Amino acid sequence: MIVAAVVLLGLVMGSPSWAAVVPPEEQESEDTGLPLLREAALAGRTQEYTGVQTLTTWGRSGVSSSLVDVSNTPGSGLTIHPEPGTADPGSLAGGMSAPPEEMLEVLARNFRIVTAGRGSVCGRDTLVVHALRPDGSTAARFWIDEASRLVLRREVLDGRGRVTHAGAFIDIRLPPPRRLTRTPEPGQQSRLDVDGLAGLRDRGWTFPRALPGRLELFTAEETGGYLHLGYSDGLSVVSVFVQRGSLDEARLAGWHATARSGHTIWIRDSAEQETIWASGGHVYTVVADAPADMVDAAVAALPHESDPGFWARMGRGAGRLLSWINPFG
Amino acid sequence: MSHLGERVSALVDGELNHGERERALAHLTFCADCRAEVDSVRALKNRLRSLEGPAMPADLSMSLLRMSEPGGPLPPRVRPFPDASHTFGGVPIPSMHSIAPPDNRPGGRASGRRGRARRAGYVAVGMASAAVAFGTMFVAGGIETGPPVVPQMEKFANQHKQTAPYGSPAVTPSPSVTPSRQGTPTPTPATLTPRPRQ
Repeated sequence: MIVAAVVLLGLVMGSPSWAAVVPPEEQESEDTGLPLLREAALAGRTQEYTGVQTLTTWGRSGVSSSLVDVSNTPGSGLTIHPEPGTADPGSLAGGMSAPPEEMLEVLARNFRIVTAGRGSVCGRDTLVVHALRPDGSTAARFWIDEASRLVLRREVLDGRGRVTHAGAFIDIRLPPPRRLTRTPEPGQQSRLDVDGLAGLRDRGWTFPRALPGRLELFTAEETGGYLHLGYSDGLSVVSVFVQRGSLDEARLAGWHATARSGHTIWIRDSAEQETIWASGGHVYTVVADAPADMVDAAVAALPHESDPGFWARMGRGAGRLLSWINPFG
Repeated sequence: MSHLGERVSALVDGELNHGERERALAHLTFCADCRAEVDSVRALKNRLRSLEGPAMPADLSMSLLRMSEPGGPLPPRVRPFPDASHTFGGVPIPSMHSIAPPDNRPGGRASGRRGRARRAGYVAVGMASAAVAFGTMFVAGGIETGPPVVPQMEKFANQHKQTAPYGSPAVTPSPSVTPSRQGTPTPTPATLTPRPRQ
């Protein structure tokens, strides 16, 4: 009897469930994996390492893979050497190393970051973190080195659960481990300049603050006569470039036209989802490291003015003629 | 008394007053010449009275009707004021009929073929003007705004990679700079250099 009680007590004390003092509902709503991602971001900036990564993208034009040598030296930065003969790595190995705190905040706003057990990459023990969409589907998976806190593997999935981007170390060399000197604090990164956005709009640029797929605007700048917009959900990046003028289609070598919702867009086979179209006196170019369905939704949400009809064209012509002869215009 | 002279005709027509007529008749009693002249004038007058009136040509009516065929009746006159039946504040407003002369213009145009040619000329000039105006508007409406451009894909792709939120890798062979969100260039720590073939 006494032996049975001791065994039962031992089972209770030995069970991992005893530590779950937090109610299940509260635990499910918490970003239990976010502190790990913050530690990983800090490690990506402060940890010295060298290794080889493989990067694979499943885009509109098929699968694209590349192999890169990476070397990170604190103070000097990350250096990447693509292996000869491999494809353009697109988002590069830096995509899984050191996210700024601002993007972690975006990630936490759009997804629920939870720990999802343990794993192994390159023979090293890892902690697995998942980013879950509001509907519970997995948007991304991270394998974080338990000892150094570096991200050793990262996968991004589309809405149907298919992996669209994957990056992983196949070889990594680390110096003797050293403890983190400080814990990153949220909100250290610069915010999007609201006044700058107002200034861009005053200069005639129009752009949305968000795109479908929880893509938030994180940068907007006018440089070189064009507008550059950066959208991200914390996992993927969609860049939009807007130029004033009409699209010179005759000089689009290597691109092929396709109809999308009654409008002509131009796409090119590349690791990044590249799309060009013209609308309303502007030329839009989208370059993205994101699932194809997310890119398509983002492209569809941006301006697509169809060719004006006869009477619309006549009206526009009448307006222009009046503006030309108007001495006060 | 001298002869009647020009008063012979007046006497025959009964246009002399009473005194003149008495004196003329007294003269005729003793003047055979004047009596003969009065008789001849009276005979001529009787003869003219016995003649028939002139006959109207048979095709005169058809000729007049044919003159009114080309133009048809003129449109009614446009009245700038409302009819007299309209009132303003209970007071009848005078119409053009009350202040203008009656419309007595002829009901048809008599200029015929010449008017038709002039109207065709007006129509041709109007259509040509409209065609020029519409063509100009169509061409002006089709002019593209801004110069033709081709996206600078290499530059855009590099900028896209530099603004990747996870890390900030650059793809230029040398250390690059990327504009910060405030527009101040800051160096990026990551570089991408091609690896030499073994």
